[in-house]
Order: sequence, then C-alpha cells, then structure tokens
Amino acid sequence: MSMPPRSRTGPGPVAALVIVVLIVLATLVALAATGITPQRAWDSFFPLGGATPATDRSHSVRSLYDIVFYIAVAIFVLVEGLIAWTVLRYRRKPGDDELPAQTHGNNLVEVIWTAVPTAIVLFLFVLSWQTLNTVEATSQSTVNVRVIAAQFQFQFDYLDEQGNTTFTQFLPAGEGGGMVVPVGEPVHVILRSNDVIHAFYVPKFLFKRDVVPGKENVFDFTVDEPGVYGGQCAELCGIGHGAMLFEVRALERGEFDAWLEAQIDKANATPAPAPSGEASGQVVQLSALNVQWEQTELTAPADTPFTIHFNNKDQSVPHDLVIKDGSGAEKFRGDLVTGPKEVDYQVPALAAGSYPFVCSVHPNMTGTLTIQ
Amino acid sequence: MTADAHALTAPEPGVAEAHHTGGIGNPVLGMLLFITSEVMFFAGLFAAYFSIRANFVEEGVHRWPPKEFANTLDPFRLTTEHGDLNLILPATIILVISSFTCQWGVWAIRRDDHRGFVRNIAVTLGLGVTFLLLQAYDYGVLFREGMTMGSGTFGTTYFTLTGFHGAHVFGGALMLAVVLYRGMAGQFSARHHDMVEATSLYWHFVDVVWILLFSILYLL
Amino acid sequence: MATTTLDPAAPAYRSGLYEWLTTTDHKKIGIMYLVNSILFFLAGGILALVVRVELAQPGLQFMDEAFYNQAFTMHASFMLFLFIIPILAGFGNYVVPLQIGAPDMAFPRINALSLWLLPLGGALMASGFLVSGGAAAAGWTEYPPLSGAKYSGTGTDLWIMGLTLIGTSSILGAINFLVTIFKMRAPGMTLFRMPILVWTVLVTSVLVLMATPVLTSALIMLFIDRNYGGNFFDPNKGGLAVLYQNVFWFYSHPAVYIMILPAMGIISEILPVFSRKPLFGYKAFVFATAGIGALGFSVWAHHMFTTGQVFLPFFSLMTFLIAVPTGVKMFNWIATLFRGQLTFSTPLLYALGFLSLFLIGGLNGAFSAAVPVDFAIHDTYFVVAHIHYVLFGGSVFGVFAGIYYWFPKMTGRMLNETLGKIQFVLMFIGFNLTFFPMHQLGLAGMPRRIADYASTAGWSELNLAATVGGFVIALAMLPFFWNVLVSLRSGKRAGDDPWEANTLEWATSSPPPAYNFDHLPEVRSERPVFDARHGRTAAH
Repeated sequence: MSMPPRSRTGPGPVAALVIVVLIVLATLVALAATGITPQRAWDSFFPLGGATPATDRSHSVRSLYDIVFYIAVAIFVLVEGLIAWTVLRYRRKPGDDELPAQTHGNNLVEVIWTAVPTAIVLFLFVLSWQTLNTVEATSQSTVNVRVIAAQFQFQFDYLDEQGNTTFTQFLPAGEGGGMVVPVGEPVHVILRSNDVIHAFYVPKFLFKRDVVPGKENVFDFTVDEPGVYGGQCAELCGIGHGAMLFEVRALERGEFDAWLEAQIDKANATPAPAPSGEASGQVVQLSALNVQWEQTELTAPADTPFTIHFNNKDQSVPHDLVIKDGSGAEKFRGDLVTGPKEVDYQVPALAAGSYPFVCSVHPNMTGTLTIQ
Repeated sequence: MTADAHALTAPEPGVAEAHHTGGIGNPVLGMLLFITSEVMFFAGLFAAYFSIRANFVEEGVHRWPPKEFANTLDPFRLTTEHGDLNLILPATIILVISSFTCQWGVWAIRRDDHRGFVRNIAVTLGLGVTFLLLQAYDYGVLFREGMTMGSGTFGTTYFTLTGFHGAHVFGGALMLAVVLYRGMAGQFSARHHDMVEATSLYWHFVDVVWILLFSILYLL
Repeated sequence: MATTTLDPAAPAYRSGLYEWLTTTDHKKIGIMYLVNSILFFLAGGILALVVRVELAQPGLQFMDEAFYNQAFTMHASFMLFLFIIPILAGFGNYVVPLQIGAPDMAFPRINALSLWLLPLGGALMASGFLVSGGAAAAGWTEYPPLSGAKYSGTGTDLWIMGLTLIGTSSILGAINFLVTIFKMRAPGMTLFRMPILVWTVLVTSVLVLMATPVLTSALIMLFIDRNYGGNFFDPNKGGLAVLYQNVFWFYSHPAVYIMILPAMGIISEILPVFSRKPLFGYKAFVFATAGIGALGFSVWAHHMFTTGQVFLPFFSLMTFLIAVPTGVKMFNWIATLFRGQLTFSTPLLYALGFLSLFLIGGLNGAFSAAVPVDFAIHDTYFVVAHIHYVLFGGSVFGVFAGIYYWFPKMTGRMLNETLGKIQFVLMFIGFNLTFFPMHQLGLAGMPRRIADYASTAGWSELNLAATVGGFVIALAMLPFFWNVLVSLRSGKRAGDDPWEANTLEWATSSPPPAYNFDHLPEVRSERPVFDARHGRTAAH
C-alpha cells in the first residue's frame, strides 16, 4: 500500500522564520527595556562580564578563552547558517513528486570535514597546554599561606620558611579578615581539608582548585592591583556550601608588612583575659547551629545595656554577632567564637526600634533584634 | 540466519534446534557478554585496590602489607599464631581442580556421555561448596588475628575483593546445582546443552578471578 | 507488501492490566519503558522547578539549604538514570527488533526483568524523601567524603541501592540488545545494512556493558564504607577521596554517550525520511559512532581537572579529539538535508531543534577541554548550561522527535501536528531562555549547587530569566500530554507507513502484531521499505 505524496508543505518555514525574527526582536526589546546596552550584552559572553581579571596568570587564561570563544562563534555562525539555509532552501514544494537525487555520500568531503576539525582541536590543544604551563607554574615565594577549608568556612595559616604556622587568620571575610596578600608578588598557596572536598575559587582570578582531604594541592598566584576579591567554595560541601565565602585582600607591600607584623605581635601576646562572666542587665539567648541562627527574632529592653548569651553549637565553625541600625551603621560587634563554645556579649544601651543582626562570617545568617 | 531470527519464538522444536548450526547459541553469547560486564566490575575493584596500595604510606614510608598484618596473608605458613591451620592454598588448589572437572563434564555431554557428565558436574559442585566452606573458615581465622573490614584499607580491600568473589562462587554453585538437577532429569544432550556451556564458562571465569586475586593478595 | 492491517483496537492492545504486567513482548515492554521514563521526567521536572523557584531571586524564600540540596540531587538522578537512559532503552526495545526484522528480543523474560527493575530502583531512590534526614543530597555524583556515613543520611543508602538496581537493569538490557543485534537479524540484514539507530544502540550497549559495572563497583565501595566500616574513600584511614571520582567518572563519562548516542540514532532515522534522501555518509556515521564510543573511555578525568590529581594534557587532548567524530556527524546530518525535499512535520522540527541546540552543547564543551579555561568555569553555571545543551537540547529533543515519529507505529494513530508544533515552539523558546543565561551566570562567577546568592552579585536578572524559561518548558508539556491523550482516542489513523519511511518497522502493521511480521520484504540496502516502495533493488 502507498500513501499519496503530500503536496502541501504548509506555512512551516515561513512561520519558523517569523517566529525566529519575533524571538530576536523580543529579546532585543527585553534587553533594551532593562537598560542592558549591546556592549554589556556582548561583554557578558566573556569571563567577569568582560572585566579585567586580577592576577598575572588570569590574563593568559582570558586570552585563551578569547581564542576558544571566537573559534566557537565562527563555527556556530557557519553551521547554524548552513542549517538555516538548507532548511529554507530545500523545503518540499508543491509538485515535488520526483525523488531528489539519492546521494549516499562523498569520501572527499568526509575527509575534509574530519581533517579540518582535527586541525582546529589540535591547535586549541597546543594553545591550552602552553597556557596550562603558565597557570600551573610555581616559584620561590616569600608569602606562604596554608588555606584550611572546613564545613563551612575558610581559615588561613601564614607559614614561616620552615612551613610552621606563625599565626592564623580565622575570619575569612569582612573588616580585619580575609586572606591578606601583597600585590605584585607570588603567593604560594597550600590547600588542606580535614573533612570533605571543598574548592578554593576566586572568580576574579579565573581560577579554582579543589581542597581534597588527604592530599594537599598547591598553586601560586600574583595579584596585580590592591583590592578586595571575593571568593567562595565551589565544590558542594553540605548545607552551608553557598554561604562559605571568603575574601582575598591585596595590599601594597608596605601595608602588608605592617599588617603581618601586627598579626604576629597579636599571636605572640598573651591572650587577654576573657571579659568577666558577670552578666549585666537582661540576658537574651542566641544560638547558632548548622550555620543558621536558631533564633532570628530577638527582643531586648530599650535604653539599658543587656547581655546576649551566645551559644555557638557548630563544631569548629566560627561565628560572631554584628548588630546594625536601620541605616546600616554598626552598633555592636561581638568577638569571633569558634564552636562549640558559649560567650556573653555585653551590648550597650540601644534606642527603641528594629535592628538587623548578622554573623559577619556568614552573611546569610541574618535576624532582627527588636528593642522595646 | 533465517532460523536464528525465529529460533526463540518458533514453537517447533526442529527450528529451535537448528540455530546451533549457525555459530554459538544465544545463551552462550549472552553469558560471554555477562562475563564481560563482570570483568569490568572486578576491574573497578582491582583499580581501587591498586590505587590504594600504590598510595599507602605508613610511618612515612610506602609499604604493603601494613606492619600489623605483615605475615597474615602468607599462603605458605602452615599455622597462624593462634594455632589455626592455614588452608588458603588447599582451597585454591580445590577451586582450580573444579575448573577441570567442570570442563570434563562439558566434554562428556558433548559426547552424549550422561553418566560422565552428571558425575563431573556433581564433583565440581562439591569442590565449589568445599571452597566456600574453606573460605568461611579462613575468614574466621583472619578475624581471630584481628583483621576485619575496618582494618584500614588493607582489611577493606581484602574482604571486599574476596567477599565479592565468594558471592560469585556461590552464584556459580547455584547454577551448577540447577545444571546438575536438570542433567539428572535427562534434559541435556549433545545437541542441546547451552546452559551447560554457559555455566561452565561462568565457572571458569570465577576460577580465573580467584587465581588473579590469590596472586595479587597473597603472592605479590 | 503483504501486511496484516490491524485495527488499533486489536485485542493485543486492549488486553487487560495483567497481560501488560506479565508481558514479555518487546513492544509492550518498550512502551512501558517510555511511560515509566516519562513519569520520572515529570518528577524530575517538578524538582527542577523547585530549584528554579528558589533561585529566581536572592535570599531563601521557599526552602532551606537541606531541602534544596536534595532537590537538585534528585532532579539530576531522576533525569539521568530514570528518564534519559531508560527512555532511550525504551525506544531501542520497541524499535530495534522491528528494524532488524526480528520477532522479539533474544531474551524476552530478561527483558521484562530489565524493565521492572527500573520502577523498583526509582522507588527506592525516591523513598529517601520519606526517611528522616531526607533523600540523597550530595549531588548526583555523590562524592565522598560528603556522601559518607559521617555527613549523609539514610537517603544516600537508598540512592545507592536504587542506582545499583537501575545499573543492573541497564547491563541486562545491553546484553539483550547485543545478542539480539548479533544473532537475530533478518535475512539480508548485514551489519552495514542496519539502520543507524541499531548501530547506535549497539555501540551504546557496548558502553553500558563496559562502563556500568564499574559504576556498580564504585557504588558498592561507597556502600561498604558507609555501612560496614570500610575505608576505601576515608583519607584518615589510608583511603583516597579522589579514587571514587576516578571510578565514578570512568562510568559517568561514557554514560553521557549512553545518553546521547541513541538520540543521535533517532535523528539519523528521521532526517532522511523527511528530506526524502538516504543518510549522507552512512559508513562515516558508523565509524564516528564507534569512534565516540572508543574515545569515550579515555576522557573521564576532564570532570576532575581541578582536583589537581589527574594528568591534565592527556585528558585535555582526548577531550578535544572527541569533538571530531561528533562534528563529522553534524556535517553528515546537514548534508542529508542538503538538496532534499523537506517536509516540516513535527518529528523533523524536533530533529532540527536537536541539530541547532546540540551544536551549542558541543561548542561550549570545548571551553572545558581547554584546561586553564576549565579552571575558571568548572563547577559554575557554565557547565550547567553545557550539560543541558547536550542532554536537553540534544537528547530530550531527540526523544520528542522519536515520540512524534514512532507514536503512529506504536498506537496506530497520528499525533496532532498543530499541538506538536505549539509544543515545539514553546519548548524551544523556554529551553533557550532557561539555559542560555546560565553561560553568562557561570562566566560571571556563579557556582552551581548554591541555594542563595547575594543581591549585589549581579546574578539576579539572569536567574529570573532562567526561572521564567523553566516555567515555559513546563507549559510546553501541557499540549504534549493533551496531544497524547486526545490522539490515543481519536487521532488520525496512521496506516502502516504514514511517513513514507525507510526501515523495516514500517513494513508491518501499526501497531505490529505479536512477533512483528507476517512477511518480510527483501533486505538489499539500509532502506528496505524505500526499495520496496520504489521497486528498487540494491542501490549499492
């Protein structure tokens, strides 16, 4: 049995063309409406939205990216163009009852479209191998930092020449925290984890490296300009993964040396006695577990000092407490506590009102303190 | 090929028989492919074993086995410190012999020698069960020497590898038991014994895996 | 063509539930594969929407991180192991025996076992949501130590057990396909006259046979570590954390080809039919498929470039090289369309969607092959975009092409073309709106698997766009299900060969009778039905 050949091809290709044009137009209108310029849209196809990366090695990564990108765009335009042209040109028209030529293949074109892509990928391979050698290169460095990642925070051991820890920077981000490095000099990083796999990822460095328990990874980087570069864990490590943030603070060598000296002095000084356990005023209970506040609504009396009894239940995770007012100005900052540990924070008198509070290590830990 | 295409569903026994003339039977090919997948399964475990062994460091130096179990897996010592007999070598010899008896059984059924076939398969099954009993005994001996699944990676890899091998021997023994039962019921002949061929292939595979395991775990 | 024209309402398909539950007929088993897979596609899709809803704007609005992690873990597990792999196996089950002129699969009862292991494994996996601690939550890759007993709950054990059953189903299915293809071809059906779909199923089966058992071994080691005090992956006891990744990816990279090759096969069936030309470069296709299969085993560590513990140049080279056979296929597909007479029925639209989207999935994969670039984009949304362009833009569009193409054969009724086209347009727009912005998100530094991000990160608009796109995809499913329901009852009668197709399944009735053929046409080329229709003898 045979079916009559279909003579009607319908508005298929035309409709498709109209739809494509509509999609493109809608996209453009949407972009224009949100204030995204063509330049910004184009830049978004590049790492960091086209912004300059921050380390010496990242420039060669960006150059490699650009080459891969332009080759990919060229192939994309060529092949999608071929598809679109073929589809529009060779649709079945009324009266196409005879079969088209039954071409089974052509060895010459097969060889060509095997050889040309092979040449392209070999070229890309050689380029990326060269760039890899640049990125992986390590050298003698005066700044050696052991990054220790744990659920769910980073801390930074600064090492002396023998590899011994001179002091540890516990606070991974924020004022007075972060991994502080000098600009223009290679920093040697040793990655260590004692629990699960994490990853040290600073987007502006165009680089990440896994922190694998049982095996230390090393790499070097040199930051170009002073500044604060945000980073975060990039390998799923549990519920606090998304909040496992840190910062790299790059200082001029002079400032860095001063900072280094201050830290060493602080580490050598005998630890100051803990503030007396005398709780004054009303005591408010606050606790943290699994990188979450267990109480996100606190209440305290107005115009009188009070105590927040803070219980950090997170094993080897540091938390602190920062209370701000409505304008964002800091009203109180408690010391960093690495759990499990309990402390009393003596909070000065506050006027009636609503105050957001946060753990500066974990910006997702937020809550509201109501003073009445 | 015509016959092949219809062999499995064709009701007439004549057609079903005919496909033996066109190369190996479907069950035998299926078993060969299944064994391929089993080889890959053990390859995964062996790869893990070798990675762990190559990276093992104790007291700052690479060594294998760890100090605590330096002599535990010596196949040639007769008794352990607790006075238990070390029977791993006899167990190995028994399993190797069972491969021969199994093959003699296959050759027998190819000659239509039913008595020889049943006798050899029965002996093979007996040897297989003996191997399993000896392995169970050997586990007992190792436990008494303090070696368990939790004894570092050494214990973990040893018991995982030998345990999964033991499970495969057990599976092979079950297949042999079915072959024996059906053989005694006279269901096999020189023309129709794909299951015997497939089972013997599996049994040889299990034997080869043990030879590899024995060489790697005890000798290397 | 002396075929029995069966009414769609013939007893074989009106038989009772018991008949379906106990059947060993490859066609019914194939259809049940499809139905089971579509159900898990729905479940996985809902979980995807859950993830997208949470990411639509900064802040945690609807769930905590614990549930979020379960949602994306189970989304991927359902989609990969219970939708894409089984639905392609389902097409293989239905179509391969028909295309090679066989009455059934080689081992029909094992075939039924393969099928029924799937819902069982899926239910085990999904039951994690009911236990305390919730379902598996360490990502679909379940890397230890996070997936170890210390950090993950019972859901992970259920996940391991479920996946082991699913893997066993795959292995048994692969053995079945291989024996069927090698031993049960019709007279005249030489290897190089087999339809390309059969070739892709063959290569896929070899991959399953060689790779899936290695997954089983990885899962078993993980299970032993979790439950019996093993130390394979515990660095504190001499184990190696990255060992799991090596073993896992030794399976899971070939698994990507398990998930795409049969879809390529489906496309290679559809393009020639709707352009009225033979497939261009049949042998090149076969060799490219085999080449992808072989190279597929030497690229696994490109998922582990950032672990610092793999030999980078080798895996980089292999990863680049695997683009070549894929490119060869792309050019052959376009050459098949070239100078054809294209009819834009729904199957062809999905096939063209596959071509244009899979191309992007191939090109953005090259970025990860360049190791230093991978250091920047690994574990960011860029790779999420990549995997979805390959597995959704590729495989899922291929799956829908296959559904629209073979539905008439399976049921005797045509699917509605208008609804099909509406679905296609919605899906195409929704897909690109969801997944294209993820490239930019990744380049801007957004890591994957995070439930929340700062409002200052600059990721909010693109995430909102992606979420809207996700709902457009969901919307696209409505015309599809409506189409299936309506067409099953009152679709246009299909007849034996509604598409004027090439391969043997169209030489029998729709749906085919038990044991498939009353009479087989002569097979003298890879297009026996075409030859019969045009009274041709072998073309080459």
